[in-house]
Amino acid sequence: MDVTKKKVLNGYHVIFLVQNVMIGMSLLSLNNTLSAVGYSQWWFPILFGIIANITLIPMVWISLQYKDDDLFDIHEKLLGKWIGKFLNTFLIIYAVVLFAAVIQNYLDLIQISVLPERKITGHLILFILLTVFIVKGGIKSLARFCIMTFFLTGWLVYFLRWGILDGEISHLLPLFNFTSSEFWNAINHGYNSMIGYEFLMIFFPYIIHPQKAFKHASIGIWITVFFYLSVTIVGAMYFSEWQLENLFFPILKLFQAVDLTFIERIDTFGITIWVFLILTTAGAYLWMAKKGIDSVRKKNSTYHIYVVAILTYIIINLPLPQVMKEALYEKNFYVSYGLILWPTLLSVVHLVRRKKKEVVR
Amino acid sequence: MESKKKISNEAQAKNKTKDAKIKPKPEAQTKNKTIPAEKKLEQETQSTTEKKPKSKNQSKTESQNTPESISIESIKCELNGIDDAVFKDFQTKDGVITIIYLSSLIDPLTLHKTIVLPLVTDDKQVLKSYETVDGWNKQAILLSIANGDTILYHQEQRQYLKAQTFSPPHRSISSSEMESTVIGPQDAFTESLKTNLSLIKRRIQQPGLKSNDYVIGKETNTKISIIYIEHIVNNENLQRIKKRISDLDYAGFVDISILKQLVEDNPFSPFPQFGMTSRPDNAVNCLLDGRIVIAMENSQSVMICPYSFIELFNSPEDFYNRWSTASLLRILRFTGFFITIMLTPMYISALSYHPGILPFELLINIQESRSKVPFPPVIEVLFIELVIEILREAGSRMPTKIGQTIGIVGGIVIGTAAVEAGLISNTLVVLVAISALLSFLLPNFLMSNASRFVRYIFILAAGLFGMLGQMLAFAWLFNHLLNLTSLGTPFMTPVIPRKWSDMYNSVVRLPLAFIQEKTGMSRAKQMNKDSE
Repeated sequence: MDVTKKKVLNGYHVIFLVQNVMIGMSLLSLNNTLSAVGYSQWWFPILFGIIANITLIPMVWISLQYKDDDLFDIHEKLLGKWIGKFLNTFLIIYAVVLFAAVIQNYLDLIQISVLPERKITGHLILFILLTVFIVKGGIKSLARFCIMTFFLTGWLVYFLRWGILDGEISHLLPLFNFTSSEFWNAINHGYNSMIGYEFLMIFFPYIIHPQKAFKHASIGIWITVFFYLSVTIVGAMYFSEWQLENLFFPILKLFQAVDLTFIERIDTFGITIWVFLILTTAGAYLWMAKKGIDSVRKKNSTYHIYVVAILTYIIINLPLPQVMKEALYEKNFYVSYGLILWPTLLSVVHLVRRKKKEVVR
Repeated sequence: MESKKKISNEAQAKNKTKDAKIKPKPEAQTKNKTIPAEKKLEQETQSTTEKKPKSKNQSKTESQNTPESISIESIKCELNGIDDAVFKDFQTKDGVITIIYLSSLIDPLTLHKTIVLPLVTDDKQVLKSYETVDGWNKQAILLSIANGDTILYHQEQRQYLKAQTFSPPHRSISSSEMESTVIGPQDAFTESLKTNLSLIKRRIQQPGLKSNDYVIGKETNTKISIIYIEHIVNNENLQRIKKRISDLDYAGFVDISILKQLVEDNPFSPFPQFGMTSRPDNAVNCLLDGRIVIAMENSQSVMICPYSFIELFNSPEDFYNRWSTASLLRILRFTGFFITIMLTPMYISALSYHPGILPFELLINIQESRSKVPFPPVIEVLFIELVIEILREAGSRMPTKIGQTIGIVGGIVIGTAAVEAGLISNTLVVLVAISALLSFLLPNFLMSNASRFVRYIFILAAGLFGMLGQMLAFAWLFNHLLNLTSLGTPFMTPVIPRKWSDMYNSVVRLPLAFIQEKTGMSRAKQMNKDSE
């Protein structure tokens, strides 16, 4: 049975895992987060793609040095047991909070638009249960779900057609109509839509052909860039600058532009089918937290998933003020920036240690 | 020691069941003409008094049992209480020969032709032509009697011979009622294993087609046959299914669907993971693809493993039609499945949670039709879906003649009357009728049942959380399907691309020239060579 093997992920799995973990809530507000640069935002996804691909290099390199270890094991091997465990605990907290953040952001949106005047408790429980259900099948189950998600949601791009029809193509020029502070602002806010490919370091030991992982992950990143690019181009064409700055979920507005005879408002449908994209992202972080607990406790157990799920439920239901929660979630995104750059440092440590060993010999 | 104990336990259990189940009928015993009445009575009394200790003793000495040492009396004793067991003595030149058989399993004409007539006319040649049962123990002899063989006992030489005379009444080959097609061969499997095997073997005429016979079922001793083409089938699959079957510990197999449920990968899933067909052409198609087909005595369909989700939408007729027609029908079935599970839930979520998604005119139309209805949409839908389900069930359980009345009562009286009474809306009747019809579009009966079950999950989810609930249920459905395996191979093969050529024969069917390769599902041998 393929369940018992350790290496389970083929090329397609890697491509779609990378791609679907990246796309999540942030795509819904991408036009808004990039609004600092105004209409020039449309080519930013390409820039992000290049940055992502460059930062991918150290990730894959360090993982290739330790083929059978995920990030947690690499930490312990490179930095020693105690520093490693400390860092891993930190990563677990990061994953759990990110899991909570992804779910809560989505369910808040649901509460505003699709199910107004409903408490989120019911569908929160259902949602977490479903994530647990997906993750319980292991990384391969998640990967298969990602492939399915791609086919179920990818065609939504078609709905952008109406946006193009109503849009103004002259918005796309000039290309560099912004100051440097606006540029950094846009990158700072916008890049969190790219977060997700660092998850590669966690599932790396499960890839059948690790040598090709870089290629596959890059393909995944550029599929994501394609989706982002189409959204930003259509967004820049369709919206005015004021709208870009003040609409929190511009894609929903784009959905509303859709004009079909048999269905009036496609946005309800759009938001609800988004649940697939959220499930893949949330599932990835749940799995990451589970793996983290596995490695800290040195024990593989399915119960860790339940522990994380219950923890997340508690975090979401904590009686904290909304501002504080949002701050927590936002800080967490900065941690992800750190995590993306972290492998570079690890690579340096690795090289230094190897040199030392050679010197000793 | 352990094995001996087991055997003795079994023997005891057998005795008990015999005593409990089969009541002696005195008038039937007149069949045993050659045995004097007094003798027989003696035997009976003996057997009833000595039964238990005897059987224990026998089991202890069983390993040393040679055919010579088994007395005809002990066999008579074991068959005591089976009133259709016949013992007949024939006086031949060579000595007295007793034949033993169960008359209910053997056609009198066959018996006369193969046993009686040769014995009466010419003995020596005939006796050689029968199978000898050297090295058999008593259990084996008894089992072969129960299987419908005739045992010949040579009194002087103390030798047992066996003749295969099993010829129970069976119906002739008719066309399939479950999977009827317009074009293509019309013959279907019957309840006889031999007939079924011959139906398959006359379609694949080559020595590579193997059929391994096994006996399963503790009490029923049902024969099954595992059929495969040796140079195509995947050995791992074959080992796996053989192991699963030999690990079974189940009392009785009445139909192959029971075996199928017992060896499936996930018994809790609403979806069937192995195929079942009553059409030989379908079975042969699967064999040629490298699947394993299992046929069972007394079962009029065969089991196919492994099987994929997409194949549950296929009918063998797809290969007889032109590719364009076949593709059209397949797309219809495939979308039909998703419409049938989504249509009525959509009605619920549109009306209870998101009235905005419907165009204004349509919304007015629907609201008007349900202006008199006092229930929320969920109750309304559940009510009418249950009514449809009741009608279907009543229609299929009733005798055919009354079944038609049920259709009229259900369709016209309940349908129109319920609308006029204001219990349900007109629109919903249309939607429910469509989704019920669509669920019957699927060629696989188990799959259409599964689709109806899944629909209730969607209805409840839509009632709870509207469109979000539907999508969550959808995610559940897909995750469940993606995690299902059939003999360890993923159930959703064309989606998880094991092989791109599978796409040519999935939701669409391209011209046959494209469909030359074996599917990825079967993991056939040639493919393995290529990939390695």
